[in-house]
Amino acid sequence: MMKGFIKIAWLFALLIPAVTLHAEESTEAEPDIKQIVLGHLGDSYEWHIATTGHGEWSIPLPVIVHSPASGWHLFSSARLREGSEYEGLRIAAEGEYAGKIVERQEDGTDLRPLDLSLTKTAAALLLNSAVVLCLVLVAARWYRRHKATDRAPKGFVGLFEMLVSGILDSVIKPCVGPNYRKFAPYLLTAFFFIFVNNLMGLIPFFPGGANVTGNIAVTFLLALATFLAVNLFGTKHYWKDILWPDVPVWLKAFPLMPLIEFVGIFTKPFALMIRLFANMMAGHAVILSLTCVIFATAGMGAAINGSMGAVSVLFSIFMYCLELLVAFLQAYVFTMLSAVFIGLAQENPEKHAPEQAGNTANK
Amino acid sequence: MGLLQPESGLLFWMTLAFGVVFIVLARYGFPVIVKAIESRKEYIDTSLDAAREAERKCATLEARSREIIEQAEVRREEILRETEAERKQLLAEAHQKAESEGARLLEKARQQAANERQAILDDAKREIAALAVSITERMLREELQDRQAQHDLASRLMDELDSKNRKSWTSD
Amino acid sequence: MESLGTLGAAIGAGLAVIGAAFGIGKIGGSAMEAIGRQPEAADKIRTNMIIVAALIEGVALFAVVVCFLAL
Repeated sequence: MMKGFIKIAWLFALLIPAVTLHAEESTEAEPDIKQIVLGHLGDSYEWHIATTGHGEWSIPLPVIVHSPASGWHLFSSARLREGSEYEGLRIAAEGEYAGKIVERQEDGTDLRPLDLSLTKTAAALLLNSAVVLCLVLVAARWYRRHKATDRAPKGFVGLFEMLVSGILDSVIKPCVGPNYRKFAPYLLTAFFFIFVNNLMGLIPFFPGGANVTGNIAVTFLLALATFLAVNLFGTKHYWKDILWPDVPVWLKAFPLMPLIEFVGIFTKPFALMIRLFANMMAGHAVILSLTCVIFATAGMGAAINGSMGAVSVLFSIFMYCLELLVAFLQAYVFTMLSAVFIGLAQENPEKHAPEQAGNTANK
Repeated sequence: MGLLQPESGLLFWMTLAFGVVFIVLARYGFPVIVKAIESRKEYIDTSLDAAREAERKCATLEARSREIIEQAEVRREEILRETEAERKQLLAEAHQKAESEGARLLEKARQQAANERQAILDDAKREIAALAVSITERMLREELQDRQAQHDLASRLMDELDSKNRKSWTSD
Repeated sequence: MESLGTLGAAIGAGLAVIGAAFGIGKIGGSAMEAIGRQPEAADKIRTNMIIVAALIEGVALFAVVVCFLAL
């Protein structure tokens, strides 16, 4: 695992021209590209910044572990570097829990304790959350200090307002329906949370670069939030449509339709989770793989390495542009689909909304 | 596949982070912003309506003023035309008056001339009568010796009279 | 056996992508046609296009995830 991060550090170090002279060293051993890419997509106990000739630059993060045998542990992850053991805990090098903290049992087997460590992804998550809070609260402060009759905001708040009113008018109002005000804070929070995390993930150096929205735990909780918003506030009509839909009785008596509808409740947020996760993870993986092309061809001579390097840089630039679009689009799609699902659950039979997306939403 | 298994630690931190972000923003962030944006939108809409109304009023006022100007122009034309007609009429009247006055004067002069001629004729008649009387008187007085002498005398007198009379007539 | 599973996963991912590409291509084409016919409804059409495309993409992603698991 650590080896993978050293390799990633080489990638990032290449961005700084002064460090390129170390490139020849990496040709000594053929880099394990799969390891590099998966290492980035996964998580780690310290936040690696760069590796220079003077050593590794990484920020140790707190390890918080509760094991049934030895209780709570709280210490810096610097103590676990290079596979060293601390308080009976170490980072497994291989096996089922490779790369995770394990505790050696008395019988010699490894056991995974309850691991609440502030890992790289968690740290980036907290940082990005702070960024989101700052952005929105700064904008909110502007609005609190100005009246509606004042001039429209400029600069940052103007950009923010453009985004908010765009999402509000083109997504939330048409999809949620009349009582959109109740759900607007959640949907806007989700949008900005995802958007900021996506963008921060695209920054290749320290404060960004973490694969936050490409982590299944993060998208799982986002999808869970949508699931709760849809089902906790669903109307009676929504539940009737699921459990006793308006179809011939023989479809309901043998509970095929209710079963499908009931499964649909879970597949919708599941699709949300997988979509965001897969898109962001794939984006990170593709960019990293393209960058790794340079290192994979390093041993093939200067001509091939140089030309492949140029191709790789061009493709990386293209992928970065595409990922900028995807970063916005996935936040937008997540918000829009959440809004559609919420809107379907808000439907009332007397005021039947013309929104027919429900038929297609139940796949 | 490790990537597809959510980590318990990350789930915990994500719950914490997203929960805090959501609660703070749903309490202090977005409601303020959404309300402000919507109230400004409303304000802009009402302002637009007011502006449109004002524009409409302006347009009607303008139309009205244009109408008034048009009416005034029409009136002016009318007045001008009337004045022109009046002038022409006055001129024509004056002309007619002058003509009739002239005719009257001419008539008068003619009348006068006729009267005068009548008077002259009357005078001449009287004079001829007087002459005839005086000639007869002289003939009677001279005791006409012969018939020839009488005749001569009468024709001489007649000639004299005639030339005298003709002279006075032609001078008229 | 291990490499056969990898091959199967790769083929499966490719097939899933082909299916999704067909579906999304059809949606995109129809949406463009519809926008061309009714430019005033472009906003609604675009919204629905994204929703439907996202649903298809969701199914394709399920398939890709299954392939991932088989890898």
